[in-house]
Amino acid sequence: MPPGTALGTALGPGVDPGQSPARLPDLSGLRPRHPARRALIGALALAGLWAALTGGAAESWVMGAPAVLLGAALILLHPAAPRWRLSLFGALRFAAWFALQSVRGATDVARRALARRLPLAPGCRMFRTALPEGAPRLLFANAITLLPGTLTAEIEGDRLVIHMLDTGADLDGDLAALERRVAALFALPVPGAAATGAAT
Amino acid sequence: MLLDLLALALIAVGAFFFVAGTIGLLRFPDTLCRLHALTKADGLGLGLTCLGVALLAGTAGEVVRIVLIWFFVATSSAVCGHLIARHVRRAANAGGR
Repeated sequence: MPPGTALGTALGPGVDPGQSPARLPDLSGLRPRHPARRALIGALALAGLWAALTGGAAESWVMGAPAVLLGAALILLHPAAPRWRLSLFGALRFAAWFALQSVRGATDVARRALARRLPLAPGCRMFRTALPEGAPRLLFANAITLLPGTLTAEIEGDRLVIHMLDTGADLDGDLAALERRVAALFALPVPGAAATGAAT
Repeated sequence: MLLDLLALALIAVGAFFFVAGTIGLLRFPDTLCRLHALTKADGLGLGLTCLGVALLAGTAGEVVRIVLIWFFVATSSAVCGHLIARHVRRAANAGGR
């Protein structure tokens, strides 16, 4: 069900081009929704949040309704971000893996912090990602921060500066695996996604 | 009863990670290493604490609020960590001539 993810033109091998032909690469994301629809969806989401926060008390809408309308109006002032197809199966798998990595990352750093002599060999490394700009790349950068021993210090286009607690670890292997998972989440087939970003 | 114990265990483990993160914050040699301790250990500590508290919550509304708190704190911690790291690197580059 998840499209085979073929990543890593810039990253070397490990490519598995088994994508379903039904959804081939529209790598710039889907077209943005009509502004009115965006505002409506935003208003519904905000109203849902307000209802959850206030327990649905009727009198709270005196404050809530204007705030929801204001929030929906603000959405119109923002340029539309490109949308991405999310693969449901990919999202579930990613969430489970994400939780596990977060436990591993925290355990690793706790172990280092509590060790008698600090087992650190810190330093920075560069990594070039093939993921397209926007949500996929941001999620990638933030997930790196949760992985054991790595932290995204800077994003410069498709180049990420990664700070490592132990520069002896296998950075490229770990990050290529993460990149494939992010691509699966966004249902990106991604061979050569780097070429699609406006800025290269 | 069993649920209470489970919640208590989750909150205790969460507190342990907060303590470990703080020890890392104090012991690690530079800002970037300290950020590792904060973003990772505290992030898991928060997640476990929220999970434990959610188990004790009485209503669905409370659970939603706890999930929202977790989501916004986790997001802002990731973004803050990234901003601090970027500033540290730029300041080092500027200072290093």
